[in-house]
Amino acid sequence: MIRNGAPVRVLIVDDEPDICWALTHILKSTGIVPVTTTSGREALRLAKSQRFHLAFIDAKLPDLDGLDLARRIREGDAAARIVLVSGYFYCDDAEVRQAMVAGLIADFVGKPILHQQVEAIAREVLSQVVSTSRVIAPVP
Amino acid sequence: MREIHRRAPRRAGEAADSEAGRYKTLYSMLLDASPSSVLLIDSQMRVVSANRNFVEKALRSEANTVGQRIDAVFPPAIVQQMDLVSRVRAAFEHNRPTRGERMTYRSPGLATRTYYYSLIPFSWKGAIEHVMLLLEDVTEQVRLGEEARRAERHLASVVESASDIVLSTMVDGTILTWNAAAERISGLTLGEVETRTFFDLCAEPHRADARRGFETAKRGKGFGVAEWDLVTKSGALVPVSWVGSTMKDDRARVVAIVAVGRDLTERRKFEAHLLQSQKLAALGVLAGGVAHEIRNPLSIASSAAQFLSEEPEDPEFRRECRAKILTGIERASRIIENLLHFARPGEQPNMVQVDLVRVVRDAAALAAAQAGTQQVEMNIELPGNPVLVSGVPGLLQQVFINLFLNALGAMPGGGLLRTALDRAGAEVRVQISDTGDGIRASEIERIFDPFYTTRPVGQGTGLGLSICHSIVRQHFGAIDVESVEGQGSTFTVRLPLLKNGIRQ
Repeated sequence: MIRNGAPVRVLIVDDEPDICWALTHILKSTGIVPVTTTSGREALRLAKSQRFHLAFIDAKLPDLDGLDLARRIREGDAAARIVLVSGYFYCDDAEVRQAMVAGLIADFVGKPILHQQVEAIAREVLSQVVSTSRVIAPVP
Repeated sequence: MREIHRRAPRRAGEAADSEAGRYKTLYSMLLDASPSSVLLIDSQMRVVSANRNFVEKALRSEANTVGQRIDAVFPPAIVQQMDLVSRVRAAFEHNRPTRGERMTYRSPGLATRTYYYSLIPFSWKGAIEHVMLLLEDVTEQVRLGEEARRAERHLASVVESASDIVLSTMVDGTILTWNAAAERISGLTLGEVETRTFFDLCAEPHRADARRGFETAKRGKGFGVAEWDLVTKSGALVPVSWVGSTMKDDRARVVAIVAVGRDLTERRKFEAHLLQSQKLAALGVLAGGVAHEIRNPLSIASSAAQFLSEEPEDPEFRRECRAKILTGIERASRIIENLLHFARPGEQPNMVQVDLVRVVRDAAALAAAQAGTQQVEMNIELPGNPVLVSGVPGLLQQVFINLFLNALGAMPGGGLLRTALDRAGAEVRVQISDTGDGIRASEIERIFDPFYTTRPVGQGTGLGLSICHSIVRQHFGAIDVESVEGQGSTFTVRLPLLKNGIRQ
């Protein structure tokens, strides 16, 4: 999870294993090695045991609603940056916009996923974490 | 006859006279009792005798009749119309009778009357002595006859003007009558069908059933209601709904079978439109789930292509990307195929042998996409072997998609959708259970009614279950529901099994 001194923890939740595969490979160029799971409940369990800087969450998980999962992760860690990934919603869907306005999610990535968009988000988080980690001690 | 009375008064004591008088009295009594007018005319065109009926009907007295010339006794219009003088003359001169001529006459201020008349020469010892004029008032008979003909024409035109087929057959099914609607719908004239039987005109798959219907009808109760296609002159099939009844004689024997048929073409078109629009409404519900389902494999294929465009060095990774592109595209196209298969307009509603397991599996695959978007777990238990029924695959699929969507609609907050298919005797049973809101007891009676919906406007057409009901019935099956409010509902579809290609 921590590589090249970049202590950025990323969680990927998608019931489709190949989407996890794709996101993992996209993040590779940024040096991030994410934690992946295909289950919403497992993701919730992981989020309770450790804090994530960034989480890519599929909007429609078979066992949990993506936005619901986002809400519960942020309840435990208000700083977590959540990216909603979906083939169901459009970026201008009311639910997505409401979640963005409320600050629940920071970004929306539609499927098919554009790698540049994911990379940009990852680099942004990376730079924030690196700049703040010099001041604040890393989370245990 | 007055004249005879006058010229041959009875004289008591004369034996011969007495005998002749007896006959004269008898004949005069007979003539006077006749409801016809009888006159004797001599060669001078004078009336020799006239019976009581004539005198009374002509409103004359005996005195101003007997001995008068006929053209003075009859009104000029009658004399002229009957050509009376020359006919009487012809009778005298050529022994030529006039029989059964018809004449109408209207006396001033009275209704027109119709008469039949005959002029018959009376010969005695080679010489024509008199001509007898028989005049019968047939006004009433003519009126009744015309009334009967009018009623007959009216009935015939009711049958002819009917927009439904009205036909009658002999008890063996041979066509007897065939109205204009039958000609119009079938393109066949009465001449073309009158030696054929009714079943002959039915489409081949319905022929045996029609024959059985007529066998039942023969026993006296008609054949009720049936749907048998009619083969038109051009060989096309017209769906017709028939009602059969029997025609009995005075002794209650069945003498003919009457069949009234309504052309269902328009109704079938309407039903097809209704099915299609309901299907499109269901597709609207499916679309969200399907978009989600399709975008996943598309996204995987797209990512793999994006990786390849960066020309990665690892040959294993390149191979992995190529494989993921192909798998992704194949998955997406399979989902689209399933969707299109459902979306396309219904095929001809011909029953074929259908594997119900496959129908339920395909429908479940479409519904699974939707289930995945609302945290509904689908538990489907299907036998490994095909279970055959006779049916229209597209229609049966519509039934199960509707039932699945209905179940999903009852579980907006997630739940469990269970499906099981099993055989029970001569039928197959498909049960679809949800763990949703359930149906209120007061509503359960109405859920199969068209346009009945508990969902808000725009979220349900109220047609899904009603269409399921009509499709299942069309497949000789049954659909029912059990529900506990707050716990969920179970819909059960029963269809007759096919064994050796025969419906059980």
